[in-house]
Amino acid sequence: MGLQKIITAMPALLQGAGLTILLTLVSIFFGLILGLLLALGRLSKNAFFDRLSQFYIWLFRGTPLLLQIFFIYYALPTFTPITFDALPTAFIALSLNSGAYLAEIIRAAIQSIDKGQMEAAKALGMRYTQAMRRIVIPQSYRRLIPPTGNEFIALLKDSSLVSVIAMTELMRTTSLLSNSSGNAVYYIPCALLYLAMTTIFTFVFSKLEKKYSISE
Amino acid sequence: MIKLENVYKSFGKLEVLKNINLEVTKGEVVCIIGPSGSGKSTLLRCLNHLERITEGRTIIDGELIDEKVKGKDSLKISPKKVALVCAELGMVFQRFNLFPHLTVLENIIEAPLTVKKIAREIVMEEATLLLKKVGLEDKKDEYPSRLSGGQQQRVAIARALAMNPKIMLFDEPTSALDPELVGEVLEVMKQLARDGMTMLVVTHEMGFAREVANRIIFMDQGQIIEDSSPEEIFSNPRQERTKSFLQKIL
Repeated sequence: MGLQKIITAMPALLQGAGLTILLTLVSIFFGLILGLLLALGRLSKNAFFDRLSQFYIWLFRGTPLLLQIFFIYYALPTFTPITFDALPTAFIALSLNSGAYLAEIIRAAIQSIDKGQMEAAKALGMRYTQAMRRIVIPQSYRRLIPPTGNEFIALLKDSSLVSVIAMTELMRTTSLLSNSSGNAVYYIPCALLYLAMTTIFTFVFSKLEKKYSISE
Repeated sequence: MIKLENVYKSFGKLEVLKNINLEVTKGEVVCIIGPSGSGKSTLLRCLNHLERITEGRTIIDGELIDEKVKGKDSLKISPKKVALVCAELGMVFQRFNLFPHLTVLENIIEAPLTVKKIAREIVMEEATLLLKKVGLEDKKDEYPSRLSGGQQQRVAIARALAMNPKIMLFDEPTSALDPELVGEVLEVMKQLARDGMTMLVVTHEMGFAREVANRIIFMDQGQIIEDSSPEEIFSNPRQERTKSFLQKIL
């Protein structure tokens, strides 16, 4: 009965899962870059950069991701000449949103590094940016990995929200299959595929954590 | 080499340094002693801009590097210049502050490579010599967490020396060490003094101060109370406060 249906639908489901992974990886990558910039802004002595980062984080953590997706896809074109297709919209919304969360994770990790490290670096003649890049930020990696892993898993699941703008990632693939066939059995492999993905990435992050903890 | 003129430093309402005047000449070893909270460490930290003075002038090797008149910066020093001067002052911290993500060797070569941009072969050669000097050539590939406190502090001294500083600042270098490890660090410092390094040492090791220092400065409540030779300060302190401090610790 159902099993045969599932096997036939597997290529479509796997393709959906592939898009889910792609969306997550790309968004976490840009989210990390954005998050680092925002975190440095928050830590900056320059009040302007601090405020700007605070404002950004306030805006993107304070509104639903679903709203952000709709806003970029539907609202932006109504009052600006900017229009994005579904795929770029998905990438942009997920990156901008995860950037806000990662900013606070990165800021906390950097602030948790002993102040003596920056002092030692400065006493050796390093400039602030140099000391950050060579001494402080590398030490924050290990502390960054567990919460970033959390954010990654959350993002992987939240990426299902882009199904509302017709992105056929795993969630939308599944609902299309069940709607067209009138059979809800597809939600079982869907759940298993999500679990498989989160399990694999949890494993990857715990490996990373081990790798960066050699020196401690 | 070092000159402080009418230096004041406050943290908010708290005055930590009050009218400090001090001169250290080339090759001198000066020990600063005094009760905790007397401003000894702050004085060192004002020299390499880890703290900025609130009033007065600091001059390092003939360069005016900080000047405040009525709390206002009357001198614009570029951050680049500050970093350059700081690099001439080697500093050793109470808690070592080695970079835990780098090996012993990497700790030592980091600043010469990235700040002074000296060729790698030359830096490596010097680092090896320095490690030999502090007796740790066999530990070069270890991470700091694998070393004892005494070994870590000797690496920290080697790291500071790798920048070829003209002056070495020691901020209670043995206070965080187990008693049996103090000797090995003091031995390295004595050797440095014999080699003619200009040194400013905040310490509670009176034996070291008596043996190695050319001058001893006693500080209390942010002021320099007494500035004289070790013989004089230990056998015949002029000030009452010095006397009572020494009685408590000797």
